[in-house]
Order: sequence, then structure tokens, then C-alpha cells
Amino acid sequence: MAKVKVATIWLEGCAGCHMSFLDIDEAIIELTNAVEFSRSPITDIKEFLPVDVGIVEGGVGNTEQEEALKELRANCRILMAWGDCACFGGIGAMRSSFDREEVLRRAYIETESTQDGKIPRPPAVPALLDKVKPVNHVVKVDCYVPGCPPEAQVILYALKELLAGRVPVLPSEMMRFD
Amino acid sequence: MTEITLTIDGKQVKGRDGNTVLEVCEANGIYVPTLCHLRGLSDVGACRMCVVEIERERRPVPACTYPARDGLVVTTHNEKLEKYRRQVLELMFTERNHLCPQCVATGDCELQKLAYKYQMDHVRYPYSWPALPLDSVNDYLVIDHNRCILCGRCIRTCDEIVGLHTLDFGYRGWKDRVVADLNQPLGTSSCISCGACFQACPTGAIFSKNGAYKGKPEECQKVSSVCPLCGIGCKIQALTKENRLIRIDSPDLAAERGILCNRVRFAPLYGGDERVRTAMVRNDAGRLQARPLSEAMSTVARKLADLKRRYGSNSIAGVASSQCSNQSLQAFRELIRETIGSELLDTLDGDIYRTIIKGTQDFQAKVGLTAQEASLEEILKADCIVVLGANPLATHPVAGSYVARAVRHNKAKLIVVDPLQNTFPYHTTLWLKPKRNKELVALNAICKAIVDRHADKQSVSTKAIAASLVGIDAKRGSREASIASDDLAKAVELLSTVNCSVFIYGDGVLRYKDPALITSLLNLATVCSNKSKGRPQVICLKPRGNSRAAWDMGIASSSQSVVRSLGSNSVRGLYMLLADDDVDAVKFITLGKGLEFVVIQCSYRSRAVTKASVVLPSPIWTETSEEYTTLDGLARSASQLVRPPEGIQADSETLREVSKQIKKLESSTRRR
Repeated sequence: MAKVKVATIWLEGCAGCHMSFLDIDEAIIELTNAVEFSRSPITDIKEFLPVDVGIVEGGVGNTEQEEALKELRANCRILMAWGDCACFGGIGAMRSSFDREEVLRRAYIETESTQDGKIPRPPAVPALLDKVKPVNHVVKVDCYVPGCPPEAQVILYALKELLAGRVPVLPSEMMRFD
Repeated sequence: MTEITLTIDGKQVKGRDGNTVLEVCEANGIYVPTLCHLRGLSDVGACRMCVVEIERERRPVPACTYPARDGLVVTTHNEKLEKYRRQVLELMFTERNHLCPQCVATGDCELQKLAYKYQMDHVRYPYSWPALPLDSVNDYLVIDHNRCILCGRCIRTCDEIVGLHTLDFGYRGWKDRVVADLNQPLGTSSCISCGACFQACPTGAIFSKNGAYKGKPEECQKVSSVCPLCGIGCKIQALTKENRLIRIDSPDLAAERGILCNRVRFAPLYGGDERVRTAMVRNDAGRLQARPLSEAMSTVARKLADLKRRYGSNSIAGVASSQCSNQSLQAFRELIRETIGSELLDTLDGDIYRTIIKGTQDFQAKVGLTAQEASLEEILKADCIVVLGANPLATHPVAGSYVARAVRHNKAKLIVVDPLQNTFPYHTTLWLKPKRNKELVALNAICKAIVDRHADKQSVSTKAIAASLVGIDAKRGSREASIASDDLAKAVELLSTVNCSVFIYGDGVLRYKDPALITSLLNLATVCSNKSKGRPQVICLKPRGNSRAAWDMGIASSSQSVVRSLGSNSVRGLYMLLADDDVDAVKFITLGKGLEFVVIQCSYRSRAVTKASVVLPSPIWTETSEEYTTLDGLARSASQLVRPPEGIQADSETLREVSKQIKKLESSTRRR
């Protein structure tokens, strides 16, 4: 049987979900027998190729992230959200209560240790979105694994469900938002 | 109340007329999710989590406000209801900031638990992201409006259980938020920082400054105990982690004495003043030096035995704080009375005890009634409460809350008699401000006016009181005490028309140390006790948490003031058991003219420590398992919440050891 192709990206997140995924330890050997990783921070492949499963860590906070997410969605059959940031906005969304310019001013000019600060605006730096959004507010998402980060065993459960041909819905006892 | 039968989820269940559907479900073990409901509070149907379907109702209704009726057919769980509940949760999560990872309440949040239960792994609605302020002006509490779901549990707790109604909703619509008084910071409002709202909050909207992020309940140990601090004897439940207090709660907010106050709920989390961590003995150079406890106890035993041999038993005095536990007080009595054989045993509040005893005896002799103190719960049954020279909201907040509740919910009348302060500005019916030092005149004038008014139908006791007031003129008295004749008339009117009055007095009365004041207070309470079987209902807010036990156990001397006898040169040795009392004991030590040897057994490095010859370390109340008596005489047993610092043992153990060593020294001298 052909291997299931999986691509993962991380947007406005901390890499914690990917780290937690690596915490499945030796189970990864078994998993790689069934799964082939395409674009992912783990494989360092950069281009989006058609895959069976796309996995997103992090919320959507700038234009580049929005574009990457849309591209992943266009190239995958099933999209899975990992972690509180992807599911709800998470830590990155703490800035959403404030105005975008206010956030930039605070970070680059008003920080206590900053002297003569300036907000960097080169064209290569993607612009911040007004608010940090959960993934499902930008594209259609098929399944969710919340947690900050989700526990390795919960990630593994969700992946195994997918391999078994089911769209995973976490049972209550596996739900964690922290 | 009649029994009714309902069909809930296809099962026949019983309830009572007057129950809500939710109450019937709870009584029959049928789970219905709730958020804005809290046992002991009225229900408002704010959160919509408890929606159920009822036959012939067009739409789902909240079970918490729907009256149960005979024959109702109720469905608590089906696909549609579960869908609604999940939808309600999603709406709550998007309304403000309910991102769990950075919240203080994560792991201890009812909103989060329900989201898990309903497998809410994403939200479909756009977030509102209102930037709401955070109120951190209060010493102990923070209100983060961003975490609030507007369930109103804090508001109803503050009103219905605490009785103060400091909190309420402000603004309208989606700007709605919890405000204190007229939208003031909590720290400058009428809030007494009792923390009941914090306990009632289902999310992280109200949290404790010093408990936040220190440990989730699942990582903590839970210990049940009792607070010994003011003598009300509230039951507590503490969470500890790695020998540190994380949180102190009431086991049941709605129970009697259930709200707690900041002295027990928050203050113990802060550690307090600098502790005495080792025993100290003054060396030849006159400096206090840390010594092992065993050595310090031997020094104390040797010195005391020596003083006793040279000057006699009564050359040594023992003074204890009434903050100490029953066990400590008993061991102290054994040491001073039995081992040393001294008659000079007293408590720091002994003068107050003698004032009350004398005043009560005079009353009993004259009126022929026994004057037993009323239980605190009588406040909730009274239709008139008189607060004399007391500030219960500050000194005994739970008693203060009873007063506020009685006024707000039972429509009781409140008369405050105090020249200076009234902590119940919103609750008071009449505030009498007699001139200072004229309280006695004022009480006698009021009493006389009431007696005169009912001269025709007097009971035996009232006649006796009337006889003792002959020669007093009510009008002249009230003028002397500078109470307006209008106010006097109002007071008389109020007091002679009520059925059941309770009199609460405290420091403002006790500081005069005047037995006559106690007698006249009892007189007045007796003439106002129309329906309370002719007995005066009086509650004394005693100066220390275990005063009642210290007085009942005879630690406080009933005849003489030991503190005053320190002034004579005959007292050479003084043993002060202060434990964790924060009293300023220096003034007592400096009274002793002939003192050669002063032992201070205490928890904190107070000024008194600098005057000691030997300092012995005491644990604080959270570190011991001991017994106490409430101010109205109930036995309470406290449990150890955290271990004391290394090398500190229970006061009773230290006292017994000193006692044992004195006995040993004495028997060996006799043998020689």
C-alpha cells in the first residue's frame, strides 16, 4: 500500500506542537512505515506538493501565514489543526484585544529597554493581520487536536485514527486546552 | 410542601412543590450542566447551559428557573440540547478572552470543564476581542473582566450570602460588566475582601494575587481545618503544595459561617512578619544568641526553679495571649499553677474578662436572670440588631456579614451606637453618637425611657431593672450624652416595637473596662427582649480568637490583674506565651520593675523579643493540629496545614518539657 503523504506547517505558534509530536518517541518508526513526510519543518522541504493530510500548528497572524495556509489547504485532502493556537488563536491571539499599530508601537518603540526605536516596515516583512485568527476562520478544517501543546499520545491517537480511515474527534478525556 | 411526580428522561422521579426542575434533577442524581447556578444562591437562568426540553413548551427552557410541577415530562439530554449547549459554550468563548493557556484558572475552571465535556475543539463564531480593563487595586483580589462570562455568581454571592451587595452589573448589553459600588476600583469600594466572590467565580475572572499560578488543585493536597483567628470558628479547606499554602476556601459558601474573611482566606498565603526560627538566650554580653531549643529550655527551667527557690512561687508570673490554642493554654496553666505553684496566671485580655464577669454578676444579682451569650446565628433570626462600640466587618467580618444579611434580607432594623465609626452606612436604621465616655449615660437613658414607656406592663426582671434606674432621667441623660431627643425617641420606638433583638458589642465598649457599662447593656438587652423569652441576647466580640476558652479555662485571673502586679518588686520572673499573636507585649514587660528573667515564647520577631532573657520559638496556627473554642462557645478542632520550620515544636510540648525539667531539678535538690 502506498504511504500516506503528510505535510505540516507552523504559523503563529512556538513549535511546541511539533516538539510534542516528536515526543511520540519510538512510535515514530512505526508511523514512518505508513507515512511519508512532504513539506514540513522536520523534513525542511519548502514547496507545497499534493498530500493526503495537511497539519497546521499556530494561528494566522500575518499575510505570509495566511497565504501558506491557503496553499496547504489547496494541496491536501484532510486538514488537521494542532494545538490551541491553530484551534482557538492561542498565545498569539493575546494581541488581538489591541490595535495592530498599538502592538507594533509597544514592541518596537515603547519597550522599556528600547532607545530611538522604529517600526520596521521593509516590503519583505509580511504585514500583520488585524487580529490573530484560528485556522478554521481562514480555511475549512477537518479535525482538531487542541492542547498547549497537545500531548504526544493525543497527537498519535489522532494520526492513528486518520490512518484507520476515520476523521478523529477527541474524546472528552483527551481534551486539554493547556 | 407536597410531593410531586415528574417524568425526567423517561424515569418517574419525585420532587417537592416549589422546587425548580434543576433541583428535582439534582435531588435524583440526574446530571444537568450548569454555570451560573451555585448552590445557596437564587437562580437567574443567565448562562443557558441547563436548558431542557419540557413537553408542551415551544422551546428549550433553563431548568434552574423553571418551576417543577406535578406531571411535567422533561428531557435533559438529546442531540438538539447538546448542540445548543455546545453553541452556548462557543458563544461564551468568543465573547471575551477565554484562551486557556495563559489563564490563572486553567485546570480549575468550570467553563473549561464544560468545553471538554462537550468536545468543543474549535469555535465557529468570530471573536469579539473587547479590550476590557483589569482591576488590581484590591490588596488580595484581581478582577479581569476579559475572563468574565457574566454569570453573576459573584454578584449574587456578595448580595445574598455576604449581605454587602458591593458588586453588581454595570453598563448594558455587550458592554455589561461586574462593577463595585458605583463603578469604583474594588480596592476603594465598600468591599471587605472576604473573597467569597473569588470562590464563587467559575472562571479566572476573579483571582487571588498570591495564589495565582502557584499550583492547580490536581497538584495540591487538600486539608480541612478551622480558622482560630477571631473566634467565629469558620471551617476552611486548604490547598497546599510542597509545604506551601496555595489557596484557602470555605468548604461551603452557603453554610453557616461559610464566607470566610481575608485574614484566613488570603493573609496566610503571604507568610507574614519575620519569624522566630530558633531559640535564643541572652549571653553574658547582653546579646540574644541563637541556641538549640533543648539548651534554651534547660536554661528556662533552671532559672525559674532558681527564682522559685530563692523568692517563692509567687515571684514568677505567667501571662498568655488568648490567641493560643486550648492545648497550649492548658500546658501553660500546668506549668505556672502546678509546677511553679504561682497564683500569678493571667491572659493579656484578663482585664476585659474581669470587666465582663463583674458586670454580668452585678446584672444577675440585681435582675435575677442568667446572662448567657447568644449564638452568632441569632443575628439571622433577629428583627433588630444593636451594634455597640464594635466594627464587626473589620474585626469579625463573618459576624458583620450576618448583620448585613439580616438587614438586607430579613428586613431587620440596625441601630449603631458608636461615637465615631459606623461600618454599616448603607444598612443602618439609626446611628446614635453618644459623646465619648458618655456611653453609659446614653444606655441608661434609653433603657429608662423604654422602662417608663411600658411602666404598666412590666415583667419581674424589668421591674428589677426599673428599680435600679430610679433617679435617672431619660431626657437629662440623653442631653448629657449629646443624643438628640428625636434620636432618643426613635431608638425607644424601634426597641420597644421589635420582637427579637440581638446586641453586639466589642472593643469600643470593652476598652473602658467599666463593669457598669456591661450591666447597663445587659439591662437594655433585657428590656428589649420582648419575645426572646425575656432573656437578653448579647454577643461579645472578644478581643482574641480563643478568648472564650482562655476565660472559661480559668487562665485569665478572675480576681486580680497580674499585669498590674508586675509593678510591684516582688515579681522576679515573667513567662509570656504569645505564640502567633501580633500583640505589642513590650508595654507589659516594661511595667515589671523587679524583673530579672523574662521568657517569651512566640512566633514572630516582635519588639517584645528584644526585652527577653530567653526566646522560645512557637509555631503559627497553620502549623499545628489543636483545639479552640469559638466566641459563642463551640468546640473547634484545627488540623495542621503546613509543617512548621525545622526545629519548631508545638507550644504545649515546649511548655511540658520546661515543666518536666523544673520538677526534675526540684526533686534532685530535695534529694541532696
